[in-house]
Amino acid sequence: MAEGGDVDWELSKENIQPLRRGRDISALRQALSQREEGPTSAINQQKQMFESELRTYDGDDPLSVWDRYIKWTEQTFPQGGKEGNLATLLERAVTRFTDEKMYHNDPRYVELWIKFAENCPEPLDTYRYMQAQGIGVRQASFYIAWSEEYENQGSYQKADHVYQEAFNNLAEPHDRLLQFHRALQARVSRQVFLKLENESSDEEPKQPERVSLADLKHRGKKKAIAPVNRTGTAIKNITRGLQSSGAPVLSNAANRQLVVFDENKAEAAGPSEATLESWLAPPPSKAKENEQKPGKWCDMKMPQKTKFGHSVMAPPPPKPTFQPFVEETDQPPTMTPCKINPAVNSVLSARKPSKEETPLKRLQEHHQQHKEAEAGKLQERSMYCKELLLSGATEFCFEELRAEHSFKKLAQGSQEEGGEGCHASAAAAAAAAAI
Amino acid sequence: MTGCNEYKLNQGPEDGISAVKFSPSTAHFLLVSSWDCTVRLFDVGGNSMRLKYQHAAPVLDCAFYDPTHSWSGGLDAKLKTHDLNTDQDTIVGTHDAPIRCVEYCPEVNVMVTGSWDRSVRLWDPRTPCNAGTFTQPDKVYTLSVAGDRLIVGTAGRRVLVWDLRNMGYVQQRRESSLKYQTRCIRAFPNKQGYVLSSIEGRVAVEYLDPSQEVQKKKYAFKCHRLKEEGIENVYPVNAISFHSIHNTFATGGSDGFVNIWDPFNKKRLCQFHRYPTSIASLAFSNDGTMLAIASSYMFEKGDISHPEDAIFIRQVTDAETKPKST
Repeated sequence: MAEGGDVDWELSKENIQPLRRGRDISALRQALSQREEGPTSAINQQKQMFESELRTYDGDDPLSVWDRYIKWTEQTFPQGGKEGNLATLLERAVTRFTDEKMYHNDPRYVELWIKFAENCPEPLDTYRYMQAQGIGVRQASFYIAWSEEYENQGSYQKADHVYQEAFNNLAEPHDRLLQFHRALQARVSRQVFLKLENESSDEEPKQPERVSLADLKHRGKKKAIAPVNRTGTAIKNITRGLQSSGAPVLSNAANRQLVVFDENKAEAAGPSEATLESWLAPPPSKAKENEQKPGKWCDMKMPQKTKFGHSVMAPPPPKPTFQPFVEETDQPPTMTPCKINPAVNSVLSARKPSKEETPLKRLQEHHQQHKEAEAGKLQERSMYCKELLLSGATEFCFEELRAEHSFKKLAQGSQEEGGEGCHASAAAAAAAAAI
Repeated sequence: MTGCNEYKLNQGPEDGISAVKFSPSTAHFLLVSSWDCTVRLFDVGGNSMRLKYQHAAPVLDCAFYDPTHSWSGGLDAKLKTHDLNTDQDTIVGTHDAPIRCVEYCPEVNVMVTGSWDRSVRLWDPRTPCNAGTFTQPDKVYTLSVAGDRLIVGTAGRRVLVWDLRNMGYVQQRRESSLKYQTRCIRAFPNKQGYVLSSIEGRVAVEYLDPSQEVQKKKYAFKCHRLKEEGIENVYPVNAISFHSIHNTFATGGSDGFVNIWDPFNKKRLCQFHRYPTSIASLAFSNDGTMLAIASSYMFEKGDISHPEDAIFIRQVTDAETKPKST
C-alpha cells in the first residue's frame, strides 16, 4: 500500500473475478480507477471502437477482432457483471464462427468456446456439442477443460476417459496433455489413498458440516448465486491448485473435499445404515399403505384420496383461521423488468417468465436456422444486413454503420494527405471536427 | 414514372437523404438534410433550391423552429441553427456523439435533440442555449413530440415517455411491443398516442394513456413485405408521417413503397407506386395536401451500387388520406 495506485486495488480485491490467465496489474489499476464515468469515458470510447471494428473489419482474420475485444473486456471489467456484457459477447463470437471450418481448431476460437462453456449452466452439454461439431477436437485445451468439468462433478472415470479421447485424436500440444493427465491421475489416486486411510478411523460426521475454504457450486445462470445449503453436494469436489503430486496435502480428514466412489465400501455401507437408526416415533398414518382389512374387491367403492391423504368421506377440516405461510420460492418468481415503479407506470405488465433458454440452445437454434436458410426452407428473409447490426454487445442502426464507413473514409483520406490518421469511431466528434 | 400529381425535386442532395421536413406555416418550403453534409431549403412550388448550408459532417436530421429558422445536427455532434432569411449560421451546442434527431416542441417552445451519446438535450430557441441534458438508457434512435410530451425510442427496443414540462423523471418506461429494432416513432397529431415502426416489416399503434381500457386498443400489423418465389422478404420500415388533419399516416419502407393507413378502422387507404429505392424519410405538409417522399438507399445491405437518391413531391387527395366513414 505504498503508492496511491495500490490502494484502489487493495480496497476492491473482493470485486475482482478470477481469470484463468491472471490479470494485467496495470489494466486492473486503470479499470479500478476509472469507474463512475460518463458515456464519454475512455472505456466507452474503446468499446465503441471495438464495436465498430467488428462491423467494418474487412481483413481475412475476423476472429482476431473478437479475440481482442473479449480479452479487453475481461481485463477492463474485473467485476464481471452486466456492463461488460461478457456473456453476450462470448455467445455472439462463438455463434458467429460456428460455420467457419478454418477456425474450428484455432486455439483462440477454442479458448472462446471454453470460456463460453464455463458461462453456461451446463458446461458438459456444450463440450459434447463442440465435439459433435468438431470444434477443438485437435486442441489439448479443449480436452483439459472438459476433463476438469467432469472432475468438478466428481466423475473421475469420465474425466480420465476424456484424456483417452484426446490421445486418440492426437490433440496438440501433446506435452501439455500428458502433464495434465498425470496431474489428474495423481489427484485421483491421492484421494483414493486418503479415503482408505480415513476408513480405518471413520468418525463420519453425522451432520453434514460446512467445509472451510471450499468452493461452492453456483446455482442458476449467474455465477454469483451461492447455494443456501453449503454442505454436501453444493461443494465443488476439487482442489484445483494442487496439481503436482508432490504438493503437500492440505485437506485434512474432517475437511476433505474429494470423495472417491469406492464400490466395496458402498456395498457395505448400504444395508448397515438402515439398521443404525431405530424409529423414534411410529411412522405417520399417511405413510401406511394397507390399512384396510382384506375383503371383497368387487362392489367396493374406492374412497377418493386427496393429495394430503385424507379421504374425501371424512368431514372437511375447518378452515384454518391463520394464513398458511408459503415459501416464496414455491412459486416461480415472475420476472419483472428492472426498476419499474408501479405508481408511476402501469403500462408495462410484469414480464412473463420466458421458457427456459440456455445459451447453448440458442446457439443450436441459430445453427438450425442457418442450415434451413441455406437449404432455402426459410419462410421469411430479412432484407438488410442483420448480422452486422446485431454483432457485438450492442446493436447498431443503419445510420451508425454508415457513419462508421464515412469516418473510416475520412480517416483514410486524411492519412493519404499526410495528416495524422485519426481512428474512425474513437472520437466521432473529434474526427469530424478535424476536417 | 411520375404522373401529373407527382414530380421530382431538382438540385437534390448528392448523397443519401436523411430527413425531409415541411415548413410549419406553408406547404411551399421543404427542408432537406443529407449525408452530403448539407441542409437545403427547397421552394416546392417553384421546384428550385432556395439555399443550402454546410455542416462539417453528414447531417442526420433537421427541423424548423419557425418559418425562418432551421435547426440541424449530425455526425459532427454539433447543433446548428440557421437563419433562412439572412443565411447565417450559429452553433448552439454539442453532444458527445453524433446527433440523430432534432425536433421542435411548439407547446413548450423548446428544441429537442437526441443523440447516440445516450442523451436527450433541450435547447431554448430564443437565446439560443442549452436547457438541460437528460440521460437515456441507450443510444437514441428516434424521437417525437406529442403536445408537451416527448416520446423517445432508443436502441435495445426501449421507449421512454417524458413530460417536457417536468423533466425530473421519466413519465413512462416501455419496451417496444415489436420484437426488432425500432426505426421510427411518430406521435398522433391528436396527441393520444404514437406509431412505432420496426426494422422487420411491422408497425405498432400505441396509446399514451396508461389506463386499461385505452391500452386494450393498441395493436400492431405487418407491412412492407414482398413475397418472392414463396419466400417472404421482410423490409425495414424507415419512415412515418402523420396527416395533421385526418390523423391517418404514411409509412415508407426499404421495399420502396409508401402506404397510407387509417389507424381507426385498421385499414390501408392506398399504396403508391414503387419508388426507385428505400424510402428514407416522409413528410406531409402542414395542410395535408402534399407528401414529400425521400427515396434514398440507406446502406441496408452495405456499401453497394444503388439507384440515385431523389425527393418526390406528391399531391395527395382526400380519397387517399381520409378515413372511410362507415
